[in-house]
Amino acid sequence: MTIQEKLDKLFLRVEKPARYIGGELHTIKKDPFGVSTRFGFAFPDTYEIGMSYLGLQIIYHLLNKLDYVYCERVFAPALDMDGFMKVEGIPLFTLETKSPVQEMDILGFTLQYELSFSNVIHMLELGDIPLRSKDRDHSYPFIAAGGPCAYNPEPLADVMDFFMIGDGEELLIEVCEAHKNWKVSGRGKDAFLEDISQIKGVYVPKFYQPVYSEDGTIKEIQKLSDRAPDLVEKRIIEDLDQADFPENTIVPFIEVVHDRAVAEIFRGCTRGCRFCQAGMIYRPVRERSKEKIKEIATNQLHSTGHEELSILSLSTSDYSEIEPLVEELMSVCKDNNVSLSLPSLRLDSFSFKVLQEIQGYKKSGLTFAPEAGTQRLRNVINKSITDEDIYGAVEKAIELGWNNIKLYFMMGLPTETYEDLDGIAEIAKNITDINYKVTGKRGGRFNVTISISNFVPKAHTPFQWVPQDTVESFREKHRYLKEKLKSIKGVSFQYHDTDPSQMEAVFARGDRRVCNALIKAVELGCKFDGWREHFKYDLWKRAFQETGIDPDFYTYRERNLDEVLPWDLIDAGISKEFLISENKKATEGIQTQDCRKGCVGCGINRKVTCSREGTL
Amino acid sequence: MSRYVIKFSKEGYIKFISHLDMLRLFKRSFKRAGIKLQYSQGFNPHPKMSFAQPLSLGYTSSCEYLEFETMESHSTEEIRRLLESMMPEGVEIIKCEELAAEGKALAALTEEASYEIRIPVKDITKLKNPSTLAEDYLSRESITIKKLQKKSRKEIEINIRPMIKSLKSIVDNNNIMLNARLSAGSTENLSPEILLSTFCKFADIDYDRADIQLNRTGIYFIDEFIKI
Repeated sequence: MTIQEKLDKLFLRVEKPARYIGGELHTIKKDPFGVSTRFGFAFPDTYEIGMSYLGLQIIYHLLNKLDYVYCERVFAPALDMDGFMKVEGIPLFTLETKSPVQEMDILGFTLQYELSFSNVIHMLELGDIPLRSKDRDHSYPFIAAGGPCAYNPEPLADVMDFFMIGDGEELLIEVCEAHKNWKVSGRGKDAFLEDISQIKGVYVPKFYQPVYSEDGTIKEIQKLSDRAPDLVEKRIIEDLDQADFPENTIVPFIEVVHDRAVAEIFRGCTRGCRFCQAGMIYRPVRERSKEKIKEIATNQLHSTGHEELSILSLSTSDYSEIEPLVEELMSVCKDNNVSLSLPSLRLDSFSFKVLQEIQGYKKSGLTFAPEAGTQRLRNVINKSITDEDIYGAVEKAIELGWNNIKLYFMMGLPTETYEDLDGIAEIAKNITDINYKVTGKRGGRFNVTISISNFVPKAHTPFQWVPQDTVESFREKHRYLKEKLKSIKGVSFQYHDTDPSQMEAVFARGDRRVCNALIKAVELGCKFDGWREHFKYDLWKRAFQETGIDPDFYTYRERNLDEVLPWDLIDAGISKEFLISENKKATEGIQTQDCRKGCVGCGINRKVTCSREGTL
Repeated sequence: MSRYVIKFSKEGYIKFISHLDMLRLFKRSFKRAGIKLQYSQGFNPHPKMSFAQPLSLGYTSSCEYLEFETMESHSTEEIRRLLESMMPEGVEIIKCEELAAEGKALAALTEEASYEIRIPVKDITKLKNPSTLAEDYLSRESITIKKLQKKSRKEIEINIRPMIKSLKSIVDNNNIMLNARLSAGSTENLSPEILLSTFCKFADIDYDRADIQLNRTGIYFIDEFIKI
């Protein structure tokens, strides 16, 4: 039986078979044997999650525009399918042609969150592909990775043949072009890696070798190839209006997490929150023009028939022409009978006007992200929202009829004390008081949700040196806050599990050695770690024990500012001096202004023209 | 306002798309085609569009019906052509007909549906009287099944024999091919799954559901409904 025949039978046994069939609107059909580069775009999670990721749509369409490339999609099969595939001997396959991933020339993973690393390993296993780069000869595809987690590539350095750092629009095309040329040249695998190591943004781990000190820290990173660059600079698309953006996005048959048309309005963020990796690595801020956004939105709605339009960025309200943009998009939506969804809107009077109009009587919840319970701690993390901002907006919201308020906080932030937790409870209490003041009622349908995530220090941020809070401390803090909030009527409390946050921390700042634990954990059965019901902490603990790796070294250890960090050879554009200065200002509780108000000297202007440069 | 019905087939991988996902597919396709559907009034307006009968996931069909109301009037051939160009592989729009504006919904008019069922059999020679299986199965006065009542949670016995309008079986190599016409619709409905399980039990056929192919071959309506 061929894969196809076996699959036909399997599809009747599994849940949501449409996850695996392909053939959706705007998918591309090509003759796989008529191209020089078969590129498997792998998303290490289920179809519904992967298909909600805009990057996939961008890359899929820009690669398939090249006549010599065929880009096909690969997702992690859900557990039921996974089990059947093993029993039936069906290797991991692409959706477009149901080809085994082994037949790809390049299999590229997108790394969106650290807890998907186990799925990367597991998917290679399912594809019958040796896990380590050194064990793969010329008969296997090149295995590559990109995305935000590639900014600390080291935990997967032994697995990947190469990483692509930064914006992918130009970089991927250059890599595929190099592949096409290499293929006709008939040279060996290493020759290709050497070729692409010359492309800005490509990191080939085998050309570098970390040397460790006795205390386990990195002494130096040795370069093993003369041609490899000393530092790998991230790629930056300077003009978003010129960048490829798909209008014929793939429309899934089944409902996925984000089932809608979407236009990216800008990349980067000017706010400079010190915990936020995205805010650092996606600099500088680059806006797409209002006209271009409108054009994309209109064309995408026409070509897909979607019922909802959304815009994407790190902070919607910071778009310089947000009011005219939203008004124009509202009219586009009205014309097309679709709804508009505006994520991460700052709640000022304009937003309320808009929300009133687009949500009407169907009011969704309102969300705030103060991140910390006191002004002191918000100064430390450089989050500019104040209590007054929150209370003012909440009062207005309640007056307009909203009765669901959700607040996001982080726990375990540097310098956090129990007073900061009291601050969270106080905010919750004050909000219920505001509701009483406005409506004259307590309880009822009014609800405040306090949602807590656990702080994970990330590479390339001012907090890249700080220790993570311990598991015990997190547990005690959760318990403390839960107790405090229990006595306030109408307040519910949610928090993330502690153990996955610890694993996330190991891989966010891990070096090459943690890879052994990762591979071991997958061997023991870890996968889908980002899914609460699938995360198996006991297996992770065993994996660390059996490989002799101490997770505490990566999580709880405070690094010296002059320590060589595993990701030091990745140049994310911002200067280390800036990160150090931000780190010091954090300790002193001094805020740094939003760089829309004036340049703060992050160093990105050394790489590209930054619209904030020279402003004061 | 105009009211139409289209007849379409569903074959190949698209059979793994559920009923609700098919509805969403058509909703988007009308939008892309620029055919404006009439929307219902009220708090949650939805387009006036419905299938004559839902089709289970995994079934192919050579005759599905979708009725809908549009804001403007169109030629039936224009609708057929436009929708056909919007369909994924496996869906073919066979026909489009205009309906009387004030008629009953097709779902309410549906009376029977026919199916072709292919059952692979490991050793056909082990079956008793393979050529007369259908007649033997039907020759009983009653064929009862146990069913859990939704509301009372009580188990009741149902005789499905009257709901089987016709049944023929033929042996084709290592397969038993069933052609069945069953009650369908809101008053009386028999799922082909029940026919399949009772038949296989009667004939003593050991089967794996994933090996069985089911194709809907017809939907039949009360009265002299326009034959499309």
